Amino acid sequence: MGKGYMGKILTVDLTVGDITEEIIPDDVYEKYLSGMGLAAYILYNRIPAGADPLGPDNILGFVSGLLTGTGSLFAGRWMVVGKSPLTGSWGDANCGGNFSPAIKRCGYDGIFFKGISSRPVYLYIGKGKAELRDASHVWGRDAVEAEKMLLKDTPAGARVALIGPSGEKLSLISGISNDGGRMAARSGLGAVMGSKMLKALVLSGANRIAVHNREEIKKLSRKCNKWVQFQPPFLPGSMMPYVGAFMRMMPTVLAQDGMLYKILLRKWGTGSLNQMSIEMGDSPIKNWKGNNEDFGPKKSVTTNPDVFTDREMIKYHCYSCPLGCGGICSMTGKYSETHKPEYETVLALGGLCLNEDVDSIFYLNEALNRAGMDTISAGATVAFAIECYEEGILTKKDTDGLELSWGNSDAIIALVDKMISREGIGDILADGSRVAARKLGKGSERFTVHAGGQELAMHDSRNDPGFALHYSVEPTPGRHTIGAGLYYEMFQLWKKVKGLPKVSPLYFKGSKYVVDEEKAVRGAACSKFMNVLNGAGLCMFGSFLGANKIPTFEWLTAATGWNKGPEEYMEIGERIQTLRQAFNVKHGIEPKNFKISDRAVGKPPLSGGANKGRTVDIDKMMEGYWEQFGWDIVTGKPGAECMARLDIEVQ
Amino acid sequence: MSYKITDACNGCGACKKVCPVDAIHGDKKKPHVIDAELCIECGACGRVCPREAVQDGFGIVCEMIKRSEWGKPVFDRKKCMSCVICLDACPVGCLTLSEAVPKDPHGYPSLNNEEACLGCGFCAYECPVDAVTMDYDRRGGGRG
Repeated sequence: MGKGYMGKILTVDLTVGDITEEIIPDDVYEKYLSGMGLAAYILYNRIPAGADPLGPDNILGFVSGLLTGTGSLFAGRWMVVGKSPLTGSWGDANCGGNFSPAIKRCGYDGIFFKGISSRPVYLYIGKGKAELRDASHVWGRDAVEAEKMLLKDTPAGARVALIGPSGEKLSLISGISNDGGRMAARSGLGAVMGSKMLKALVLSGANRIAVHNREEIKKLSRKCNKWVQFQPPFLPGSMMPYVGAFMRMMPTVLAQDGMLYKILLRKWGTGSLNQMSIEMGDSPIKNWKGNNEDFGPKKSVTTNPDVFTDREMIKYHCYSCPLGCGGICSMTGKYSETHKPEYETVLALGGLCLNEDVDSIFYLNEALNRAGMDTISAGATVAFAIECYEEGILTKKDTDGLELSWGNSDAIIALVDKMISREGIGDILADGSRVAARKLGKGSERFTVHAGGQELAMHDSRNDPGFALHYSVEPTPGRHTIGAGLYYEMFQLWKKVKGLPKVSPLYFKGSKYVVDEEKAVRGAACSKFMNVLNGAGLCMFGSFLGANKIPTFEWLTAATGWNKGPEEYMEIGERIQTLRQAFNVKHGIEPKNFKISDRAVGKPPLSGGANKGRTVDIDKMMEGYWEQFGWDIVTGKPGAECMARLDIEVQ
Repeated sequence: MSYKITDACNGCGACKKVCPVDAIHGDKKKPHVIDAELCIECGACGRVCPREAVQDGFGIVCEMIKRSEWGKPVFDRKKCMSCVICLDACPVGCLTLSEAVPKDPHGYPSLNNEEACLGCGFCAYECPVDAVTMDYDRRGGGRG
């Protein structure tokens, strides 16, 4: 009888062309789960301290999740992991589509690459055989085109993950694409793949995935699906900014139940937030120095969520997802279709640059997906460049004649095209805002908004200090997909995990900014839980349904047969978090240096808009969080005692 | 548990040809062998063997069935959640998603390549909401 995981990984040494299968002992899965936990175990132990992220010693891993293929829902997330060239720390990126089960269908929980190939290659696995094949015919091709070419020569049902030209050109904000332009975008791991001369993985397996009790998993899935299918009629898209404005005007916060967000996701996808988030103060505007009044409903109306669903030809479901927040949209111009632009993309290339031109956002979405460049970091870097232009640090001479003013969509398109092709100023900007600021000098560093080099996502930490915390304390800095005050409310973990604090259904906004132990407990719980999800291969959006409606822990127990409850799984999450932090310490990272830019914590505070006068005491928050893990509260480093308590062998 | 080929094999090669994962090897007119590591237990080898030389994982001898009578998946659109688990479960990629229609933006699975379908039933087995069933009776028999 199986336990949900395959019990094997594949390691590929690209320098010598060796491909080796390795059996992973059961106790590793019991300690770390599969997915990102397994990856943390492999990378911590095998990447030598101080390894060059773009050198042969770095290891790039592609991992599936423990629950993928077991009959659970929302288990279609795969992750790419490695030492990030953007932050120098632990790097990972998460993506949906159909690539996650493809890894397990080949018989593996993960595929890990080290070394550097002397020529462009791709890994092909089919019918039980793995081999490196010549990729010179697809090198230089964009991710969508190359995927089609690679699939031409393979049996039906094969899946591909690959880099576009940005990864090949070692852009530090490049990611890895699958399923026609879905992106594992963050941490700059596309550049690691490019440095290894590895264009793609093409997987065509049909292995069965054995579990402890599939009937029990299905029973849990059917119950969960009932919540997902509950979809009452909802307001038209044009009302969404008013919902956001109402939330802004209220002195209190109504704790959110994730069912509401589920309804929005099913109707529109993440784009449901496009206007609402601006109005409530969740979206950073004008490179984080503006506010909602600079990009009010009359300007943002072009990104009304209905605009996107009107162009949607079909909903897109990732593997095992009953919700379907994605979509394939038609468009005019150079490209005929694109994955529905996500909220992050729309805001990074829209409100952050004061860009009202939605057609430009559609174009940039597809162009960046094809290039394999992160839309969040690209948008944030463009906003940084516009501010540099406004301040006279960049001139028309530097931009090859581009009038780089706020909201000039033609100039934004031209600039992104230059970043993709690494031409002129684009070459400097293609490695993200921190690297660009170092090259430009002249005090431009003060216009970058990042954590440890990773551009922040489109969730304003001055509106939800929980974002400030997780942007700053995670071993993968600058990420919005781990925790926040809002996420803790929606995860509703207190309903399953003993000892976690319940959230009051109504509270004053000012209380969000009070730093106390309970907030630290909540933050730590989010991090631990996301590690469990990333070990299981589950989707964060699914988990927003709330712990009583999506049976994460119950699925894991039904899949593995382990005698574990929610508290034991949360301890695994704690172990993974500590191991990833230890990875960073091993590689010389000072965790306190990941603190986000002053602008993002309200130093100085904004003088108007939804977050007027708000400042976040990030130093105190970071200390409190580290204390929850038993890490040193001054340095943020896990000590020997903490490692021993979690049974982690120090490297 | 893997399928097995017994001494009754005459090496006709029909099983080797139908196996979707190349798990069967053996020279023409010589006894064939199933690689237990590669076998996915789809049972196609057993359904094509004219000599009743294939046993399933429990040691039960497989019966030869005309390919036109193999079970085929039937999809219940009302139960289906468009999650594509069935498409992924199929070892030969013979399922496809429909286009969206004006009142329903989600795609739904259907049997795209009937000739390639092995009647293995993995799509039905993996569907968590019982939206896929195997029609074994439609053509008068098949794998139970």
